[in-house]
Amino acid sequence: MSILYVLIPLAVMLLALAVWALLWAIKNGQFDDLETHGWSVVLDDDQKPPPMDDTEDKPNKEE
Amino acid sequence: MTENSRSCFHCGEPVPSACDLSVEIEGQLEPVCCSGCEAVAKLILQSGQSRYYQFRTEKALKPAEEDADIEAAWGRYDERFSLWGSPLKNGRYELLLQVEGIRCAACAWLIRSQLEAREGIDQVQVDVATGFVRINWQPDKLKLSRVAAILAGVGYRPHLPLSGAEAMGRQHERRDALKRLGVAGLGMMQVMMYAAGLYAGDALGISEGPERFLQWISLIVTTPVLIYSGRVFYSSAWRSLSHRRVGMDVPVALAISIAFIMSCINFLTGNGHVYFDSVVMFIFFLSLGRYAELVIRHQNLQTGLALARLLPEWAELLRDGESEQVLAADLRITDQVRVRAGQTFPADGLLIRGSTEVDEALLTGESRPVEKHIGDVVIAGSINRTQTVEVEVSRDPDDFTVSVMGRMLLKSQTHRSRYTRLSERYAGWFVAIVLIVASLTALWWLNHDMAMLFPATLAVLVISCPCALSLATPAAIASSSRALLEQGVLLTRSAALEVLGSIDTIVFDKTGTLTSGSPSIVNTVVNPSREGFDADTVLRIAALLEVDSSHPVSRAFADITVDRDLVTGIVNHENGVEGRVGQDRFRLGNAAFTEVNVIDFSGGLGRLWLADETGWIARFDLDDGLRDSAIETMSALQERGLELIILSGDHEQAVASAAKRTGIKTWLSEQTPGMKMDYLESLQAEGKTVLMVGDGVNDAPVLSVANVSMTVSGASELANSTADFIMTGMSLINIKNILESGDMTRSVISQNLLWALTYNLLAVPFAAAGLIVPWMAALGMSLSSLLVVLNSGRLARRRVAKKPQIQPRLVTQ
Repeated sequence: MSILYVLIPLAVMLLALAVWALLWAIKNGQFDDLETHGWSVVLDDDQKPPPMDDTEDKPNKEE
Repeated sequence: MTENSRSCFHCGEPVPSACDLSVEIEGQLEPVCCSGCEAVAKLILQSGQSRYYQFRTEKALKPAEEDADIEAAWGRYDERFSLWGSPLKNGRYELLLQVEGIRCAACAWLIRSQLEAREGIDQVQVDVATGFVRINWQPDKLKLSRVAAILAGVGYRPHLPLSGAEAMGRQHERRDALKRLGVAGLGMMQVMMYAAGLYAGDALGISEGPERFLQWISLIVTTPVLIYSGRVFYSSAWRSLSHRRVGMDVPVALAISIAFIMSCINFLTGNGHVYFDSVVMFIFFLSLGRYAELVIRHQNLQTGLALARLLPEWAELLRDGESEQVLAADLRITDQVRVRAGQTFPADGLLIRGSTEVDEALLTGESRPVEKHIGDVVIAGSINRTQTVEVEVSRDPDDFTVSVMGRMLLKSQTHRSRYTRLSERYAGWFVAIVLIVASLTALWWLNHDMAMLFPATLAVLVISCPCALSLATPAAIASSSRALLEQGVLLTRSAALEVLGSIDTIVFDKTGTLTSGSPSIVNTVVNPSREGFDADTVLRIAALLEVDSSHPVSRAFADITVDRDLVTGIVNHENGVEGRVGQDRFRLGNAAFTEVNVIDFSGGLGRLWLADETGWIARFDLDDGLRDSAIETMSALQERGLELIILSGDHEQAVASAAKRTGIKTWLSEQTPGMKMDYLESLQAEGKTVLMVGDGVNDAPVLSVANVSMTVSGASELANSTADFIMTGMSLINIKNILESGDMTRSVISQNLLWALTYNLLAVPFAAAGLIVPWMAALGMSLSSLLVVLNSGRLARRRVAKKPQIQPRLVTQ
């Protein structure tokens, strides 16, 4: 069972890593919005909006 | 995607018959209602984001006319970098915008993909529930006004948040709680794993080396969890102790400390059990309960704060005939502002030019627009629907109806009810009893079985934590007042919610309460000697003649829809109106104007005559119109077995008529406020519990005598109202809703209290007898608190589900 003396400290190190990752994620707002990202699967961005500058931005303004 | 062929593809509003605009989507032409919607829809389709239409669950916000000029308007903000948000590294800023029109996940996707594609924007987060958009951006690459223009370009109206700092503060609070919960959760998983090894070791035998090692590791993992996640319980326990009270965190802190210290001692001396697993588990479940409570509390606050975002940033100030754009916050009393159709009123004020329809839905919960004429009060945050009008500001921003509503809401949240005070005091006693029971348990085991001393005492402390007990009432009231607000009812004194159940008599004021104060037709008489006219025809002719009139009497005909092209040559006279319908000329007015040869005796608000060249055709008897749903509300209330009484200062005939129409049998007319108060007191002396419903303005002293009071003044008079419940809508049906929600709240409170007490009474003896090990106690205690919080949340959820579309911006998911 002496392998425990290696594996458990390793697990604790992983735990520390997990805690660090969690705190980082919370700090960066990864948990602020749990609703919309589920939709990103069906709403993928295979077409990016065309680059626009000020003149093109309102294409229908003259109408 | 459209409900019918003539509703706008983009915003879902009906398409005017004169409008033939359309957009092409997947080869199919879909109608849109205005050029604003057309522009937005085209932009979305051109950007390849037509999926938005496929996946959205709510129709979009109709773009307002001023959205086209938003870039110029926001231009003035470009140089004020304090408005750019909080600075990050490398010249980046975090900008928080309150965005109108975010209704579903598809909106969030659309906004993200529009903004994130721009240079200068690193990251965009959209919070659908609150409507906040958080943007990491570089102001030197992209101007603030461009960001606003991009949002407006896809149909979302941005606002600078009025309460940005508070919103940030709430977010930090939530993140901190989540961090503590996460750390405790991860720690718990690990320590429980080691505990499984230790328990298995107890049962099957374990050599000393691995056992010591597992205990070591448990200690190493538990300590940071205790310090990081458990700290809040210590600070809260300390706070209550320093106020010489025994708060509910005292036994929590005590239990954690005892468990941890005893485990450490057992570990160091090398005999006895360690309870590190119970420590982390207790901390985790308590954090979970606190987090759930925090989320509910924030949702309640959010509902209140939604009011603040209704106000526009600018106003068009009129000065010496010239107009200029100023910040709405700078408006002062007597300033005159112009508000165009589609715009939001920037301040409370009096209408001084023009008449229009105003949408007060966000304040009152009513979707039907209200007509406003010169001299009427308009309130900041309501939307001007039809005509450009001018308004004289009559209140300072602090006294705006929305501000007052916000303050009242906050006040009612901090105002502790009788039950709350009772259960808090009770919780104090309860904690004291818990501590005594725990000491007795310890004493008993000290003399009988030393091995059981520690686990039994710990179990008693943990299992009887009065969290559930002290949460029972406030959680229910908070949820319920939020649900009421969404229906346009402000609860200003939460104790009133608890008294509602004992109400047996309801006293109504008449004018302004049962009746709306504007005329309606109670009787139509058609001259029997005239052929070819029936009641429908004469009403239609009269409605046509009054179609463009701004005279108060015309409101009596406002419900009849007519095609205004049928009427020509309308001339307004002092005592009536004349015009041509088809080939014939008609006059509508008083007896003199219509040359009717009668002595005009007016009951109610008077009579109107319809005549043509040959003589009178019909007579309309007008009376004070009943409020919306007055009749059904009264019968619903009578079905509940309540005694209804009208007390009115009005003359006998008018009161009798209102009583007859609403089916109320008991009524008293020509009452002065003093007589009303005496009457209420005599009712109370008979042992009745009285609910008084008034308009809240001129009957405030009477309202204060009643056990519970409600006002139906409408939003514009809100600031003067002094009642327990303030109905901002004009419909009486809310009285029934309030009574029902009072019933529900009380039953939820008693469920909560019953559950918390039963659980504690049942569990404590078992714990004292040593039959419950500490980790079971931790689980039981936490589940009990969680149950109470979730049970209370039910009150809010049920209401939200009922009425989601009418007030999209007040609904929080």
